Amino acid sequence: MTGSTTLTGIGSTPRTGVGTARWYRPGADLTLPDRPDPSTVAPEVERERFEAAREEAREAIRLARDRAEVRDGDEEAAVFDAHEAFLDDPGIVDDVESAIDDGTPAEHAVHDRFEAAIEQFEGMDGRMAERADDLRDVRDRLLRALLDAPTPTDLSTLPAGTVLLAERLTPSDTAELDPAAVAGIATVGGGRTSHAAIIARSLSIPAVVGVGDALGEVPDGAEVLVDGEAGEVVVGPDEDRRAAALGGNDVPVVTESVSTADGLAIEVAANVGSGAEVSPAVDRGADGIGLFRSEFLFLDRESPPSEEEQYEAVVAALEAFPDDRVVVRTLDVGGDKRVPYLDLPEEPNPFLGRRGIRLSLEEHADLFETHLRALLRAAAHAGGSDAGGIGGDDRDGDSDRDGGDLAVMFPMVSRVEEVDAALDRVESVAADLAAEGTEHAIPDLGAMVETPAASFLADALAARLDFLSVGTNDLAGYVMAADRENDAVADYHDPLHPAVLRAIGRTTTGAEGTDAWVGMCGEMAGDPELTELLVGLGLDELSMSAVTVPAVKERVRAVDSAEASELADEVLACETRVEVRDVLGLDG
Amino acid sequence: MERIVEVVPEAGLHARPASKLVKTVNRFDADVSVGRAADGDDGSVRADSMLAVTGLNVGHGESVRIVADGPDAEAALDAIEDLLTSPVEDSTGEERTEGDPT
Repeated sequence: MTGSTTLTGIGSTPRTGVGTARWYRPGADLTLPDRPDPSTVAPEVERERFEAAREEAREAIRLARDRAEVRDGDEEAAVFDAHEAFLDDPGIVDDVESAIDDGTPAEHAVHDRFEAAIEQFEGMDGRMAERADDLRDVRDRLLRALLDAPTPTDLSTLPAGTVLLAERLTPSDTAELDPAAVAGIATVGGGRTSHAAIIARSLSIPAVVGVGDALGEVPDGAEVLVDGEAGEVVVGPDEDRRAAALGGNDVPVVTESVSTADGLAIEVAANVGSGAEVSPAVDRGADGIGLFRSEFLFLDRESPPSEEEQYEAVVAALEAFPDDRVVVRTLDVGGDKRVPYLDLPEEPNPFLGRRGIRLSLEEHADLFETHLRALLRAAAHAGGSDAGGIGGDDRDGDSDRDGGDLAVMFPMVSRVEEVDAALDRVESVAADLAAEGTEHAIPDLGAMVETPAASFLADALAARLDFLSVGTNDLAGYVMAADRENDAVADYHDPLHPAVLRAIGRTTTGAEGTDAWVGMCGEMAGDPELTELLVGLGLDELSMSAVTVPAVKERVRAVDSAEASELADEVLACETRVEVRDVLGLDG
Repeated sequence: MERIVEVVPEAGLHARPASKLVKTVNRFDADVSVGRAADGDDGSVRADSMLAVTGLNVGHGESVRIVADGPDAEAALDAIEDLLTSPVEDSTGEERTEGDPT
């Protein structure tokens, strides 16, 4: 009989899953053997090996291409055409063959030639560096064939009941996972707000991150329980633990909208970062979408999506929530979100550089115009009515806004002028659409509060807009001056630091006395232990990963808004995070 | 013979347009080279090499000079011009140009 072992990490997706452990090691060992003496190398044999490796690589590339075509469409598949073209490149093939003729074994010849090409590409600008990744991909396929190394696991076709173990997962690794097959994820590194953790959460995959090196001891094939609530990874769980964990998994889904015990309505919406996340949001009873990350429409492709494509994606989301609101955040790239074809500037400090609305108003003005055209057209679909106008005397009123259920917000706002300029763009796009006779409407318009500047200016922003939405991940990062992907400052990156809470409080206070509502769409909004505090701070809407919607709805119903408000005052008076946690009755 | 063409696809001479160019060139009996129009002969590279074509790093809106030699030179130039002047979505140079050398 074997006992069970419990490892502790950071609970990321608050669900529990049990399954069979499988390690994902993308950097499989492709170490080259020592270089032999050239006189001992038989060029004919090496040429044949090279030829066979190319054929093997070609087959694999074509297979990947066909699969990508089915799953992701033409755009994705095109990447593999480029890979095949590199495989057949006469410049590469000729050089490798002549190195072989000079007595170099095939694997070394391949390695050397690709290394030179990669170096050349990396010396060039951003987009070329992307291409270097393509070259690496092709090189690794050739080397795997030559060295007879195992192919890395294909994450999209894992067998049902897999618990995936990894050193660290990239966002694109995680996005490939099939939530129906993956019972859980546990990683050695990573934090709760890393992009990969957020994607796992939106896919409702139980996850524990930051387990540490002890995770390395867990063998492939072991039965493993991942408890994302307690932050535990249990190897060989006993029957009681399994039953308890799985039984307590799901709070019942509440489909109707909820109010506090004393009748204050709080919207509980979902954050959505891909088309595939819309229907889980409906299933978990979300009151609409509080954050539709429009950038997913722009990522992993070679050119921007057309107006029609954007329009259709937004309309699909609106149709999934016929009675609710969908808040679309306009294109938010820059910072750590790179899009090769957009030629983003190389900056020493991208988080403090050109990103979000800053790019949309200047460098990406054309893209922004197309984006707004799609959104204004979609707004008409939602409201089913004709064009309205913004502004006039009644900046706060809803009467002339016929957008129905669509709302649009601008990311990374730090100046009032940006909002004014964005509103001008909306108005001019509306005028163009009207002149063309294209059906459109002006949606509700809002700003993200992610910078300390936006929090300080909340009153001025609220006076110009229909709503504000606090993005706590970036706000915590900017208030505390700490990068969320940097584990060394993870301790700073916590929304429960008093400075962050006061920035949130300042935002809701600033909007008081205007008609603008204030929402929150960061990870913080999805923590049921903070629901009372957030209601007390005056938030009207909470938007989160779909998985936590039922638990937060349940909490909202138990809150008394007067008590919540007192709790918020008490928390805002705290000077340290320890005091905050103490007042909230949280451990440590 | 040669031709100057403006590169229309959003992606420039990268990824898809580049691999299509290479594929197209390989279909014809012609030696084809490509380079920035402004660079003359100095900057021109063999158009059947993905590495060389991508290495030019030509962006959307730039003009390139295509030089072709051989029995199919003109047909190759026609096919390439077709390809580089269509936005990515509807570039179907492959079907249109198959087997009609002039």
